[in-house]
Amino acid sequence: MRVPLSWFSDFVDTGLSPRELAHTLTMAGLEAEKITTIGDGWDNVFVGLVARVEPHPDADRLVLATVQAGDHALTVVTGAPNIASGQKVALALAGARLYDGHVEGQVLKTLKPGTIRGVRSEGMVCSEKELGISEEHEGILVLEADAPIGAPLAEWLGDTVIEFEITPNLVHAFSILGIAREAAALCDKPLRLPDAPSLSAAPTGPADLVTIEAPDLCPRYAAVVIEGVTVAPSPPWLQRRLLAAGLRPINNVVDVTNYVMLEWGQPLHAFDRDNLAGGRIIVRRARPGERIETLDHQHRDLSDETLVIADAERAVAIAGVMGGVDSEVSNRTTTVLLESANFAMGSVRATARAQKLRTDASARFERGIDQNLVLDAAGRATRLLLDLCPGSRVAAVSDVYPRPVLPREIQMPFREFERLLGVRLEPETVVDALARLGFGAEIDGDHLRVTVPTRRGDVTLAADVVEEAARIVGYETLPETLPTGETPPVRRDSRHRLSRDVRDTLVGCGGFETVSYVTLHDADVACFADGAGVGFLHTVPRDGLLRLRNPIQSDRAVLRPTLVPSLLEVAAANLRHESGVRLFEIARTYLPSGDTLPSERTVVCLAMAGRRDPIGRFGSDDRRLADGDRHPTDDGHLDFFDLKGSVEAVLDRARVAVRFEPATHPALHSGRTAAVLAGERRIGLLGEVRPDVAAALGIETTRVAVAELDLDAMLDLREPLAGVRIPRFLPVAQDFAVVVAEATPAASVEAALRAAAGPLATSVDLFDVYRGSQVGTDRKSLAYRVVFTAPDRALTDAELVKVRDRIGKTLKQRIGGELRA
Amino acid sequence: MATSVQHDLEELRTRALADLADAVDAPAGEIWEKTYLGPKGELTLFLRGLGALPADERPTAGRAGNALKRELEAAWDSRHRILAAADLDQHLAADAVDVTLPGRPPTIGAAHPVSQMIDELSEIFALLGFQTVFGPEVETAHYNFDLLNIPADHPARDVWDTIHVDLPGEIVMRTHTSPMQARVMEQTEPPVRVVVPGRVYRYEAQDASHEWMFHQLEGLAVDRTITMADLKGVLAELARQLFGPNRRIRFRCDFFPFVEPGVDFAVDCAICGGKGCRVCKQTGWLEMGGAGMVHPKVLAGVGYDPAVYTGFAFGLGIERMTMMRTGVDDVRAFAGNDLRFLRQFAGFA
Ligand SMILES: [Zn+2]
Repeated sequence: MRVPLSWFSDFVDTGLSPRELAHTLTMAGLEAEKITTIGDGWDNVFVGLVARVEPHPDADRLVLATVQAGDHALTVVTGAPNIASGQKVALALAGARLYDGHVEGQVLKTLKPGTIRGVRSEGMVCSEKELGISEEHEGILVLEADAPIGAPLAEWLGDTVIEFEITPNLVHAFSILGIAREAAALCDKPLRLPDAPSLSAAPTGPADLVTIEAPDLCPRYAAVVIEGVTVAPSPPWLQRRLLAAGLRPINNVVDVTNYVMLEWGQPLHAFDRDNLAGGRIIVRRARPGERIETLDHQHRDLSDETLVIADAERAVAIAGVMGGVDSEVSNRTTTVLLESANFAMGSVRATARAQKLRTDASARFERGIDQNLVLDAAGRATRLLLDLCPGSRVAAVSDVYPRPVLPREIQMPFREFERLLGVRLEPETVVDALARLGFGAEIDGDHLRVTVPTRRGDVTLAADVVEEAARIVGYETLPETLPTGETPPVRRDSRHRLSRDVRDTLVGCGGFETVSYVTLHDADVACFADGAGVGFLHTVPRDGLLRLRNPIQSDRAVLRPTLVPSLLEVAAANLRHESGVRLFEIARTYLPSGDTLPSERTVVCLAMAGRRDPIGRFGSDDRRLADGDRHPTDDGHLDFFDLKGSVEAVLDRARVAVRFEPATHPALHSGRTAAVLAGERRIGLLGEVRPDVAAALGIETTRVAVAELDLDAMLDLREPLAGVRIPRFLPVAQDFAVVVAEATPAASVEAALRAAAGPLATSVDLFDVYRGSQVGTDRKSLAYRVVFTAPDRALTDAELVKVRDRIGKTLKQRIGGELRA
Repeated sequence: MATSVQHDLEELRTRALADLADAVDAPAGEIWEKTYLGPKGELTLFLRGLGALPADERPTAGRAGNALKRELEAAWDSRHRILAAADLDQHLAADAVDVTLPGRPPTIGAAHPVSQMIDELSEIFALLGFQTVFGPEVETAHYNFDLLNIPADHPARDVWDTIHVDLPGEIVMRTHTSPMQARVMEQTEPPVRVVVPGRVYRYEAQDASHEWMFHQLEGLAVDRTITMADLKGVLAELARQLFGPNRRIRFRCDFFPFVEPGVDFAVDCAICGGKGCRVCKQTGWLEMGGAGMVHPKVLAGVGYDPAVYTGFAFGLGIERMTMMRTGVDDVRAFAGNDLRFLRQFAGFA
């Protein structure tokens, strides 16, 4: 809502600067978004009088104008078609900063004196566009006759416009008068209402002038018939106010309806009465199949829930939204039927949405306008029209208003102010604050009786009254206290705690946490799908995927059942400038549940790719060399085993016991994929992404390893922390090199070792994998260090020899393995 | 004692001490020790040769020899220490490094700034007696709007540009964390004190200050005596925890359908101390979020008697808090996940 202060100050003198006024209103709930000054740059622009216009000696389209400003008379060369002697114009002198009238948009340039076709031009007569008032640049701006010659233009035409954001509850302030009323209340200054004569003395129209057939959607309809109207452009002052407020002037009749809407907040409409069949207004629901061509020249189908204004034959306007072309006011119009009416907010809103047509009128009606505003606004518009069209007269007035709205009464205990605000307000303070807003307020014992003006439909409860008083008194007086009373127990959320533990662990493992968008690209859906469905750890049948109806990007409509594609996208983007990435995210996946809402399962997703150590400035790294003993294929790039190491660290931290088994997934490397199993429950999946899938996602140069773990499952599976005593006796470490067939999984070897070693073995760690001539083809040697500890004694050599024998036998029986000496 | 023996001993002493003084490094010292004190050293041999002396000379010569032995051993001991220390110094000098070279980097990542801020807020509010709870991101219009006094046919709904989920009924991506107000109150008897962090979604074009997915933290306190002054106190405490001990809070009247009175709250700009600067756009204040007293219709909607209970609620933007504290000026960076952005938060909080 743009408020030109020249207009605003018709109604109140606040004594505040524009900036102070904007601040005061902002603090009270009317947020000022922008302050613009019209005429800010009009140095060297003055009001001039065109004394004489002569043809240019050397050009048909140009004229020489002699323009008088103050004591000087200057010669100006111009091509303006509308210039004439006797006009008051805006005269710019050299050095003035003006907008270029001949290019699109607003481009500032500085005026220099120049010679045009041999005649020196000492200044310029400006168009509205050149002054930055409007886009109009065909002709020059012609000022009112009483503009003072020689005065700086800014003094005559300058203005300040404050733009307010009007929250949906503030329909009473959706007008210049409404905002002036707020300002008057806040500054405790009187409000001057505009001249709006009562229409009650006007001749009443025929009984059937207005018929309301849908009183549920139209509680009030007033029509004023004005004869003898001459349709013409509005006077400059009116045009300027509309322009400053952001509306384009059209003609005096339409401009008056817009002017009053901006001033009072009551939308009006003007019909050419001669084009209304029967000269009547019928307010009704649209008939089946009924259509209308609206003023924007769209042909619109109307539903039977659309409220229309009709004449005796057809719909002539969509009520509260837009008029129709058939009854539009034109240059030939002489009799106007002025509509000032109230329409049900829900109906206007539904219609505007259905027609995808939001207008200044619908934006006001859908917030619920005061029904008692109708006749005031009609009176104001009538006064303006009669002033603008000498010789016109009111022929008939009809106001159909079967159930007038009366002011609401609110009875409330006075202590309600203290109960909500936490501070005691003096009764006089409250009564005064409410009175300034136009509320009636009476103290009655320990109660307050409030009479709410009908324009304040938003004030219905005691809490609303408290807010009204508080915003006038100001919130800065509110003390700062802390809640008293019983504090409910604060319980920690176990999922949040586990998420934090997992996050800490992964950060310690070198991971960077991401927060990625929750939708999948259609291409991801294809990569992560097989016959069973789409997903990673959790899969969803293709037709069960959750989709957004209005996604931000149409090819990203699927709510993700897995985080993996999101992390791969982040990895791909980062690999453009990073040599290696370790990423993770803890977030929801969205799975169909059969219930009203989907199931949101929290998962931990990891992705790794590229070089393990981004900067190798220390040359060979001991840790990496040592690791090479276990993973001989290691080449310094992150791979399955880096990923698995982090996954194991997470599961250790969460105290969830798992095993890893070979698995498959359509997007993963068939030989480097494992499922994470807790008992028979699959709680995770990890592997290296197939190179073709990675390439499709934009990663071609390196291996990419991804994992997803079900955090909610981990929460169910956490084992208690078993306290372990530090043994009194020193541990004994022994190495076992086990030769097995190449196909035997390490997990089987370790399981057999642990089973045979029994409870004395307190740790079993693989430290070398060897393949080569010493063990023969298709065989490998896995070297384990087993640490034996007895809680109650020092272990003897004899005991250890026995254990070694048992291990040898068990390995042979279970997995055909042999101990190497 | 025969003069010759005494003379020999004196000569040995003089020579040994002179040699020891000449031993300038550890190897020379080792040779000296071997030469005089070793098993075949001169003094050892001398002492061993005492047996050949006449019996009456032996005790005197033995005492003199042993005294010399103790003297040389003591001299060796102190000399040896000096030589060993010099030797170690030499080794250390050879082992010197350029201490201005960067350290060997451990592999450590970083938590996302949003997680860090959520954890920090959760911790601050725990100290104030607020429990952190979480709610669904996919939400019914009933919780997201209706129970928050935002009816379907009301223009207030337009304030939240909503992303709809293709499911039966009106299912939306929650537009704020506020639906948990109703969910928590439905499940609990007052008193209630909770904060709800989480992702929220808006159908909104992205730019430097708008994201379609971001994070909020909702706060709710309901009891018999909760007041707006309590709200101001709690938010002032929050502002001071986050932005420094001298911060002040300002309430401005604003409209949110689920609170009455409703305000937005701002903290005075720590950079300019409220005088006005580029960061606070010359206003001296930085907007933190929206707040107010829980609307009586919201209380009644979950079965709380608004005549008995009052409550306050507030909402903060998590990204916004981080931006205010760190000077990050583009909200899109948070879901951008560029490591060059994320890396700087390794040391944050
Ligand atoms: Zn500042």
